[in-house]
Amino acid sequence: MLFAIVLVVFLLLQITPGDPARQVAGLRAPDEQVEKVRESLGLTDPIIVQYWRYATSALGGDLGYSYKSQQPVTEIIGERLEPTIWLMVLGTLLAILISVPLAVIAALRRDKLADHMVRGFGLVGIGMPAFWIGVMLILLVALPTGWFPVGGFGGDPLEKLRSITLPAVTLAIGSAPILIRSLRASILNILQSDYVATARSIGMPPRVVLRKFVLRNAAASTVTLLALEIGFLLFGAVVIESTFAINGVGEGIVLAARGRDMALIQGYTLMFALVVVFVYLVSDAVIAMLDPRVDIGS
Amino acid sequence: MSGPTGHNPLITDSGIGLDEVEEARAIPSRKRFKTVPRKVWIGAAIITAFALVAIFAPLLAPFDPLAQDPVNNLTPPDSTHLLGTDELGRDVLSRLIYATRTDLPIGLLAALFPFLVGTVLGTLAGFFGGFIDALTMRISDIVQAFPSYILVIALVFVLGPGAKSILIAFTALGWVVYARIIRTEVLRVRSADYVKAAKVSGLPTRGILVRDVFRNSVGPSLVYFPSDIVFATLALAAFSFLGLGIPPPTPEWGAMIADGQAHIREQWWLSTLPGVMIVLLGLGYSLIGDGLEESLDK
Repeated sequence: MLFAIVLVVFLLLQITPGDPARQVAGLRAPDEQVEKVRESLGLTDPIIVQYWRYATSALGGDLGYSYKSQQPVTEIIGERLEPTIWLMVLGTLLAILISVPLAVIAALRRDKLADHMVRGFGLVGIGMPAFWIGVMLILLVALPTGWFPVGGFGGDPLEKLRSITLPAVTLAIGSAPILIRSLRASILNILQSDYVATARSIGMPPRVVLRKFVLRNAAASTVTLLALEIGFLLFGAVVIESTFAINGVGEGIVLAARGRDMALIQGYTLMFALVVVFVYLVSDAVIAMLDPRVDIGS
Repeated sequence: MSGPTGHNPLITDSGIGLDEVEEARAIPSRKRFKTVPRKVWIGAAIITAFALVAIFAPLLAPFDPLAQDPVNNLTPPDSTHLLGTDELGRDVLSRLIYATRTDLPIGLLAALFPFLVGTVLGTLAGFFGGFIDALTMRISDIVQAFPSYILVIALVFVLGPGAKSILIAFTALGWVVYARIIRTEVLRVRSADYVKAAKVSGLPTRGILVRDVFRNSVGPSLVYFPSDIVFATLALAAFSFLGLGIPPPTPEWGAMIADGQAHIREQWWLSTLPGVMIVLLGLGYSLIGDGLEESLDK
């Protein structure tokens, strides 16, 4: 799988129009110099050799150099990781805090007023672009109150928390409609299951049924869901970091795309794909912990 | 090859004659969407309204959406410019109206192309199995390992900005979901009695594939389709917001939100209104999707 991912990223470079050697050497460089650069970059080797070299060095942690700044790609990405981790962790936590209670209420009060309200929010909210939510939060919260900066990522931990709050809220509101929708459906499934019916029929108090059976199973669905939506959340980070001018990896890939920096784009794409694979692995392990029926070996 | 006559003595596994089979194979897809909930009609009305705005944009818009007037830029709403002017003195109302011509069709096509490619490939994979199935599923495994919108950034980078690149990138990655959804259904339908009967009675494979298998498998994909249009429209706006989608000066809601963000303190409506348009359009599609889902469940 890893080699397939690296292959896709490698092929991106191959199908990109333009000559990377000329880009490195400079537009006005004489042809002989471009050829020299081409040789030094190894671009004259057979394509399979190039792929092998790219794959082995990429998996060894070497992603080449940025065409623009000549800095190592891993270094550029590394410097931008911290704000994105803050945003993803805080945003996901807030998303869970919003979505789980609302989904539980909607499912328990199926077709009652609360359910209709939650689903109504879902229908409207699913069409709200994350960047628009961000701009609206700047307009309605940051500017009138002055509690939060309108952009940037601050120095000390407290300032960092302050500057990441609105972006995290944006991520949470942006992803809540999708999470609530799927969670509500899976909780309804759980409520209709045999074990809940049995627990109720032997006279177990509703509160205990909810805690022991419904919420525990819902936790597993939440983790599955968050893992499935990780691509969506990461793209949310890309958009939100650009909205709030936060110097994370999300803003980084956009700047790399605007600056036409191929090596950087490749590096970012590979990094994001590795995050997705990693999250899948972790979520499998967590689900196995939450739900003893899942056999982790299979 | 002639079709079955009504008196064919052929009997299937479960002992039903072909008359019943003929009946059974005709019913499911029609019965599934028999009751159309009111939600679907409201959603359809919203989408129709947007379509009319797009079609009659030249009649509805008071000004040329591209005409600049740098002297009268960033004016507040007045009797000439009902929603004021933007940074370059262009009429905001006219741009909002003309942007419908960008966001509505491109958002729709960015979901329709993946739908067409995905359902065709998924149906073929599920029906014929073997090599084509293995190949389709292997490719979709690799595509799904990537956070798809981030791979879209890389692909749009490779292909250059613009509507065509967006559509190619979305189709190249988006078909996977539809292929998986319909394949699961095809595997289920393939072993149904009416399909087996149609096969043994010597009906042409193409007819069985379209009339029996496809029509009875496409339901869940159709239900997913409206929410996919919402995601595609949001993503289109997001890419334009990031400066990687529809290049200026073409009016586009996401790009308008980005342009307005710099003036959020004084001209709050510049960023707010395009977002409202996106939310309304998304609501229309979501109502249709929600309604279809309910009627399929019943």
